[in-house]
Amino acid sequence: MIDWLTATDHKRIGKLYIFATLTFFVIASVLALVIRAQLARPLNTLVGPEAYNQIFTLHGTAMIFFVIAPFGLGLANFLVPLQIGAPDMAFPRLNATSFWLFALGGIVMFCGLAAYGGAAANGWTSYAPLSEIVEGTGGGTDLWILGILLASISTILTAINLTTTIFLFRAPGMTMWRIPIFSWEIVATSVLILMAFPSLAAVLLLLLVDRHLGGHFFDAAAGGNPILYQHLFWFFGHPEVYVMILPYFGIITEIVATFSRKPVYGYVGLVIAAFAIAGLSIGVWAHHMFTTGAVNNPFFSAVSLLIAVPTGVKFVNWIGTMWKGSLELSTPMLFAIGFMLNFLIGGITGVILASPPLDYDLHDSYFVVHHFHYTLGGGSMFALFAALFFWFPKIYGVRLNERLGRWCFGLMYVGFNVTFLPMALMGIEGMPRRVYTYPDVGHLALLNGVASAGSVVLAAGVALFFVNILVSALARAPVPDNPWNGYSLEWVTASPPPEYNFVTLPAISSRRPAWDAMQPQGDVS
Amino acid sequence: MWWIAQPVTHQGLLEREAWYLFLAAAALVGVYVYVCIFWCLFAYNRRRRPAAASFTGNPPIEIAYVAIPLALVIWLFAVTLRAEVPMDRVARNPDGIVGVAAFRWSWRFAYAEGRIVTVGTPFAPPTLYLPVNRTTEIDLTTDDVNHSFWVPAFLFKRDAIPGMTNRFDITPTRTGTFLGRCAQFCGLEHALMTFRVRVVSASAFDAFVKTNGQATP
Repeated sequence: MIDWLTATDHKRIGKLYIFATLTFFVIASVLALVIRAQLARPLNTLVGPEAYNQIFTLHGTAMIFFVIAPFGLGLANFLVPLQIGAPDMAFPRLNATSFWLFALGGIVMFCGLAAYGGAAANGWTSYAPLSEIVEGTGGGTDLWILGILLASISTILTAINLTTTIFLFRAPGMTMWRIPIFSWEIVATSVLILMAFPSLAAVLLLLLVDRHLGGHFFDAAAGGNPILYQHLFWFFGHPEVYVMILPYFGIITEIVATFSRKPVYGYVGLVIAAFAIAGLSIGVWAHHMFTTGAVNNPFFSAVSLLIAVPTGVKFVNWIGTMWKGSLELSTPMLFAIGFMLNFLIGGITGVILASPPLDYDLHDSYFVVHHFHYTLGGGSMFALFAALFFWFPKIYGVRLNERLGRWCFGLMYVGFNVTFLPMALMGIEGMPRRVYTYPDVGHLALLNGVASAGSVVLAAGVALFFVNILVSALARAPVPDNPWNGYSLEWVTASPPPEYNFVTLPAISSRRPAWDAMQPQGDVS
Repeated sequence: MWWIAQPVTHQGLLEREAWYLFLAAAALVGVYVYVCIFWCLFAYNRRRRPAAASFTGNPPIEIAYVAIPLALVIWLFAVTLRAEVPMDRVARNPDGIVGVAAFRWSWRFAYAEGRIVTVGTPFAPPTLYLPVNRTTEIDLTTDDVNHSFWVPAFLFKRDAIPGMTNRFDITPTRTGTFLGRCAQFCGLEHALMTFRVRVVSASAFDAFVKTNGQATP
């Protein structure tokens, strides 16, 4: 126990991140099931508006700040030093600080449930001036602000740590143009974090000052400006979307190449695309504000549409990697395929929402809920499970059961699509997001009923994953160093890796050191 | 069917044209990529192909896949501008002005420079009257937090934000009753912040104004 509390080894901190994010994931998933239960029928009264507004706020905030984003960085904690041949992160104690700030942030936010007036209930965007109302909503909102502040500081520290590690701690022979795409995506993610997260910390502090110290920054009656809140928030908020997807793009690239038995197609193009996405994402924030009438819509529309181009490059390179390969459809690869099929839908609906005339209708409707769940749920979350199945043997020395894994994927893929596909139609029919009830008009009752049924299947798939961990851990089958024939450096060392990661490092003379080590004729030494 | 619903305003018609073009592009790209992925799963399955090729890229193909999507989004941007510019236009001399004020959690509608005012509650949603085939300017404000004025049948919404008045034009092209609602989350009873829109004949609307709201259309 004390070992874990004082751990500074990157592998232990990576495991702590995985444990904490999966715990928050289970809590946020249960909240999602309550949402679907309430919305299963029109005019349902399972939970009232007080509870419902807290539930969707905590669900969204937890998934974004305490699951999807930190899992990517936590996995990077474990993998990046192994992939680049380093013994640890650049700043191990800073790394431990990051983790504990993050864990504390999540606990502080959920403590809001016990506060007077309940937890925060303003949505994950917490728009001012709604979030500035103090009476009757006391402690929960403040704890929410503090929790996110802690998480944002933690994220900034992690980004500094990861970039320093990748730039300065690479093994001999591991040039920048040889590091795996996952590590490249982490560089792009970290740069994005360093640009965007200070804006989040600033806007949360201003909100706190407004709430308790009479700041009036966002109070129109006193000369403040509510639009300023949206600018500061989305200047962080849109890059955050890419912080939640770039690491997962990297995961997919590694898995697709491994299970196609082929080198990554267009390595340089993938790196350029990652930085093009990161760069463009800094200039699109106001596409969340098309309906405010307060921003230059054509400019933000044009930049948002442009992001489709480098994202398309990613798809070209994944398909190019599979092209003429020898595809083995193991569980990680199935999740990677599921990621591509789902994320494509999320990307295409993103292009639709990037057009202001269409956004005038669809903004703040269930179409938007459909869109971002296809990117972050069908996208990032599927990649998260792909990563767990892929690296579980390396991280824990336990190989997950393949049969149960396939069932897990099947249930999740079907459940996810049955849940979230109908939401596009709900939005088109005029159902706004963040409503605890809806009238029985049009096809809303049918569509919501189908979505709620799908959520049960999705939950069964997720539950099966945890059953799989239990079954596989009890089976205690021996795990080889490289169970999937992976090509990057982490597959050269033992599963799980020893302290300081490598007993001896192989000669690194290409982007695929593990394959070179398996085939002596490819070794230049 | 909902996706081929006929728009009921002039502005909605503009949105619908752009919507169909975007849907066509979406279907084209979506089907093409799905076919490519499933082709790989079928043709390059390890059972069918035990050995993999080893190429690492193809610059002409990669450049083509930048150029083609780039051309596509430039065209989509042109489609966007063609619809958005006239939708955003506010006529200098509208046929009428209606004030819409949002508050937690209902709406207040003011006609004829405030001589007629209708106020709703979450449990008794108010009705907004608009004349058909006339351009009405909506002056949208809020009494408290952010709200958003959304009539799904008009395919249009605009936010109500403290400290500013948002002005936009609506030109209904057929009569009828439509559901309207707040789209921007505004607290406890956001879900019940609805209203009705009744688009009526120009003569009925004139009678409504002339009698100070006594002659409800």
